[in-house]
Amino acid sequence: MSPKHEARLPLAFIPPGSEVCLAAFGEEIDPLQREQLTAYGLAESRPLKVLQQRPMTVILAEEVELALEHGVARHIWVARKDNENGS
Amino acid sequence: MNNTSPSIIALVGHPNVGKSVLFHRLTGAYVNVSNYPGTTVEVTRASARFDSALTLLDTPGVLALPSRSDDERATMRALLNESTRCLVQVGDAKNLRRTLTLTALLAELGVPMALALNMHDEAAARGVTVDIPALADELGIPVLATVATGGEGIGELTHSLSQARAPEVLLRYDDETEADIARVAAAIDNCAPHPRLAARGLAILYLGGDDEVANWLTKHSGEGFARLDALRTDALQRSDADLPALLARERTQAADALAASVIQRAVRSTPLLSQRVGQAVVHPVWGIPILLGVLFAVYEFVGVFGATTLVGLLEEDLFEGLLNPAFTHFVSVAVDIPWAQEMLVGQYGLWTMGMTYALALILPIVTTFFIAFGVLEDSGYLPRLTVIANRLFATIGLNGRAVLPMVLGLGCVTMATLTTRILHSPRERLITTFLLALAIPCSAQLGVVLGMLGGVSFTAVLIWALAMVGILLLAGFLAAKLIPGRRIPLVTELPPMRLPILGNVLKKTGGRLKWYLIEVIPLFLLGTFIMFALDRLGALPAIIEAGEPLVTGWLGLPKEASAAFVMGFLRRDFGATGLFAMAHDLSPIQAVVGMITITLFIPCFASLMMMVKEQGTKTALIMLGLIVPFAFFIGGLFNLILRAIW
Repeated sequence: MSPKHEARLPLAFIPPGSEVCLAAFGEEIDPLQREQLTAYGLAESRPLKVLQQRPMTVILAEEVELALEHGVARHIWVARKDNENGS
Repeated sequence: MNNTSPSIIALVGHPNVGKSVLFHRLTGAYVNVSNYPGTTVEVTRASARFDSALTLLDTPGVLALPSRSDDERATMRALLNESTRCLVQVGDAKNLRRTLTLTALLAELGVPMALALNMHDEAAARGVTVDIPALADELGIPVLATVATGGEGIGELTHSLSQARAPEVLLRYDDETEADIARVAAAIDNCAPHPRLAARGLAILYLGGDDEVANWLTKHSGEGFARLDALRTDALQRSDADLPALLARERTQAADALAASVIQRAVRSTPLLSQRVGQAVVHPVWGIPILLGVLFAVYEFVGVFGATTLVGLLEEDLFEGLLNPAFTHFVSVAVDIPWAQEMLVGQYGLWTMGMTYALALILPIVTTFFIAFGVLEDSGYLPRLTVIANRLFATIGLNGRAVLPMVLGLGCVTMATLTTRILHSPRERLITTFLLALAIPCSAQLGVVLGMLGGVSFTAVLIWALAMVGILLLAGFLAAKLIPGRRIPLVTELPPMRLPILGNVLKKTGGRLKWYLIEVIPLFLLGTFIMFALDRLGALPAIIEAGEPLVTGWLGLPKEASAAFVMGFLRRDFGATGLFAMAHDLSPIQAVVGMITITLFIPCFASLMMMVKEQGTKTALIMLGLIVPFAFFIGGLFNLILRAIW
């Protein structure tokens, strides 16, 4: 596993208030839902802000607020933004 | 297909970007407008205000194309089959990347376009500035900043339509995909050329797996479809990745690049008030008290103000005090025939029962409910309710999105059954339709229930409400176990919280009331006439007598309550109103049992017809066959339990 890959975390595990970049969709997300997520504007390297994790994962992608069930957020891989890598 | 000269302007765009408000501005025609995605589930058309020769189409919002959901398919059908002169893409100015992702696909269709970047005020409030001239230059089409709710930019938009033209194509896909697109486009040009849409656009949609485009090509290409099918199969096999996803990803990248070149974003240190409120209502701690507060406010407005105060004023003071005596006197003077007099103003009189029920009992309740619902819709609270309700709905095999038709069902089950189209799978739609028919009372019935049981005690209301929620969950749980298929996890957009606009709420209430009364009054009059005829023919006493073992023995109600169930066959709320009318003869237990039974009873005739339309006759009849005995069974069970413990 590459160091870059090790830095990836499931979106569902990111604490509220954190800013991350979308790294990849897991294979567990079915193609239709993946299309839906892409249509909502979620794409690789896009910045996201996690607003809350309960009762669902709520994120801000640019100006769009999206609520995702944990079953989906667990399979969305994100990476800390560059300026947070050192933390 | 409509082959007349193009005279149609179609509004297309993502859900909840203001297409229906813009449609209203451009036509004067009212479409149900809400601050949640999926309000428009069918194409609506009206003449343009600025040119009566033009027809405007309001299409359901598309999350993306190729079409996947029912509303996206409806929009795709409109694009394929209507004589469209030009498209007006309505986009969210604060979310330009997403808007341009759809533009990237629409541009391939080769139809003249204009782009209305709507909600410009919200974008500005968030520090988002779009360089509109630069964007118009890049796309090669008119781009206008609009605020449809405030009427800003509408004049400029209508003037720009004459300059609408086919946009510049936003991207070239990778070489291999381009070769596949070219092969399919050539085959389409050869065997099924579309009169307006470019073959390249159709090829991209077809390769992306759009069923509506595939159906259209099947229908129009004859034997040539085998070649198209073979080309698509080849392309799918050749692509390393999932081809539809690859196409979508490349469009997204192109939209990203263009958006980045025309957008400026000011750094904002604190979130807007609307964002803070929006986050509070789905907060794990604050969300529930806020929900309870909202429910209490709705109860006070509909159940107390509408069903008690307004009904009291209308029924007792206006109808019983003034109108009914005056009308009875008029009929006794003007009509000589005794049976005709009775038909108009007797016990089952068209005026004294039918119109009094419809206007004095139902109208105030329905009006207050629709006002409350309209405020909730426009505020943006309902999509957040899907987040709060998601876990609960997961227990019945659904996701929180199903709460939208359910809450709308509290207004009108018929409308709500139509709205089940916003759900993503046939299984979700089937379960939700069944639960709507079984345990969701429409506003008229809800108001009658609250009015009647509220007059008994708060405990009575609570027992009824808990019974309904319990039965809803139990029936949903069983349905989810029995109906094959898997649950789809919830992913939903949360539109900004907004202060509801009074004019919009009132227009929406007016539109719904008109729809409702057109449906209700004829059925109430027909129901009253049937009751009158049964009574005159001596059949009603026989029915009451025949129903006695069930109604009196099992449900423990007075035998006259049978008449209410006969009325309930036409409309549940008509039946509930029948029980309401005899409230003073019922004990608290009888009131609760009667209301539980009639709430679970068969849905109204109109919603039954909608069930047939959406689910087919066989499924609708099976539901009916389950619901009627279930209603009496549960009613009797509550009779036994309540008599034992209350």
